[in-house]
Amino acid sequence: MLIFQLLALVGLAAGLFGIYLRYAETKRRALPIDKSPVKGNIPHGIAYAFTTGMMPWAKESTRIHLIAYLRGIGFHIGIFTAIGTVILSPLWGFLPPLLSSTLFWVLIPGALLGAAGGLMRLAEHNLRGLSLPDDHFAVWLTTLFIAVTGLGLVFEAFVVPMYIVSAVTFAYIPLGKIRHCLYFFFSRTFFGKFFGRRAVFPHGTPYREALK
Amino acid sequence: MTETIELALKTLEAQLNQPLETALEACARCGICAEACHYYRAEPKVEHIPAYRAEQLRNVYRYEHDFISRLFPVWTRAKKLDETTLANLTEIAFSQCTLCRRCTVNCPLGVDTPLMMRAIRAMATAAGTAPEILIMLADAAIEKGKDPSFYKEMFLEQIADMEKQLRDITGDENATIPVEKQGAKILYVPLAGAHTILPPAVVFNAAQEDWTLSIFEASNYGVFLADVNRAKQVAKRIVDEANRLGVEEIVISECGHAYACYRWDVPNWFAGQFDFKVRSLIEVLAGYISDGKIKVDPTAIPGSVTYHDSCNLARNGGLLEEPRYVLKSIVRDFREMTPNKAEALCCGGGGGIVALAEYAERRIAAGKPKADQIKSTGARTVVAACENCRLQIGDLNEHYNLNIHVTALTDLVVQAMRLPKPLPGMEAEHLFEGEQVEVPR
Repeated sequence: MLIFQLLALVGLAAGLFGIYLRYAETKRRALPIDKSPVKGNIPHGIAYAFTTGMMPWAKESTRIHLIAYLRGIGFHIGIFTAIGTVILSPLWGFLPPLLSSTLFWVLIPGALLGAAGGLMRLAEHNLRGLSLPDDHFAVWLTTLFIAVTGLGLVFEAFVVPMYIVSAVTFAYIPLGKIRHCLYFFFSRTFFGKFFGRRAVFPHGTPYREALK
Repeated sequence: MTETIELALKTLEAQLNQPLETALEACARCGICAEACHYYRAEPKVEHIPAYRAEQLRNVYRYEHDFISRLFPVWTRAKKLDETTLANLTEIAFSQCTLCRRCTVNCPLGVDTPLMMRAIRAMATAAGTAPEILIMLADAAIEKGKDPSFYKEMFLEQIADMEKQLRDITGDENATIPVEKQGAKILYVPLAGAHTILPPAVVFNAAQEDWTLSIFEASNYGVFLADVNRAKQVAKRIVDEANRLGVEEIVISECGHAYACYRWDVPNWFAGQFDFKVRSLIEVLAGYISDGKIKVDPTAIPGSVTYHDSCNLARNGGLLEEPRYVLKSIVRDFREMTPNKAEALCCGGGGGIVALAEYAERRIAAGKPKADQIKSTGARTVVAACENCRLQIGDLNEHYNLNIHVTALTDLVVQAMRLPKPLPGMEAEHLFEGEQVEVPR
């Protein structure tokens, strides 16, 4: 068991190191300093980008594709829960039964939602046209990762596969599409800065404020 | 590798800063941005999804920057840039994206697809594959800036004629259109054409504003080319003029890209030489009305009116409330389009595409969602505070038989000022009457 735990740990270390390299590479690039006078409020814009701006009703696209968006949210909750669950695996014996079963009931639906996403990429015309082999692989790998983690909580037979799949998943994070987990933070920050500066978001700049 | 390709790649590398790299890396290809794009709405196909368009540049970027993609190109569809790919990228960036940023607003990750489209435009311009007409227009503006004396005399003659018209309309014998007035508070920068000079002149005179007219036009085709060097040269004419005259503020005509250029880009391009406040004419109008500097009749426009949010002014400029404040002061029956403001649909005329005759058919097709949106308001008058939007909506009016009157915001304000005579083109008495277009139920 220890060897598989070490394998997962090596995978995690490799993944984190790879993500750090990606982060460092991006940070090495120039960051344009905008000197145009601020019309709105940049901190408010950034706060909006990470909070209310992520709500399903905040955008036309997520209102139209509400089910798909919520599926994605559920899938991502599953991923983060699985990561936490694997990291906590040496302590599983000490977890209260209620917490274990809660984790299980977050992970299994998360895996099912991941599988639904994987099938959608195969079945839905637009998604199929957009998807790269990397996308298909990433979605099924993370789905498998969530599934075996959830099952590992309940069935011991799945613990070793969980560590193996975890190692592969962690190691793959910086190499493929999953690395958007890093760029999400950059992207939303730039979004908030851009639209916050220009008083576009958050909504509802009072008219008098706009006249200043 | 040919020189063209080398230039294009060099340009991509030069632009690769944190925001661009983020845009190239962040997309999860969820496709949720599809309906955000007017091209997709008009013709739903994979090629019209913003993420798909961006992928065409990402394929090149991955080949250059991602070792996995270099080893296994098929895994990420990585592609070595060649002439065919560059031609395809150029076509996409200049004819299938108006840089409206509606996809960015609708992306769960906030991916800035227009930033990537601008990167492609810059690559194409550097490599010599950008549309010739845009290059010619930008270069002509630069030349004009080098020696304005060549046309200045003719321009001043036109202004003298316009001054007579101004006095005739306002009934004010002292009304003037000052040009190159030293120490004026405001430098007003029009577009090419009397229709962007006369109505603001009426307003400035009524408000007793201390203003002067620029001898240059606000348009900047360097912006459409994403060629910072050219764009700076075009903008420099106005920066120098503002500095020379010692004005406090630059007011930009009703023009989307010019406002975006002078309000958001020029302060960065001319840091240290540019201490001017920049406002759109829309903001000035709102200020005059709210401060009581001009008197408008709230019942002046009896018919139904809707407002089209120019992408550069609204979603990319934050001018969301000002035009509505103006319209609600002069219009009895104001109708919002749905969606509007930051979520407004692009009309399909932005990004310089209006100047590209070879893409006219594509432009009109992509404008269909906007045409439908206008139609569903049932409004008879459509106000657009951007020249390119007005041109496009005018074309949509003709093509889709919308039976609407397209006008600038300033023209409507002048109409509401109840002056002795109307502006040229506003003489028809029925123009703003209550007749309405049938709304399909």
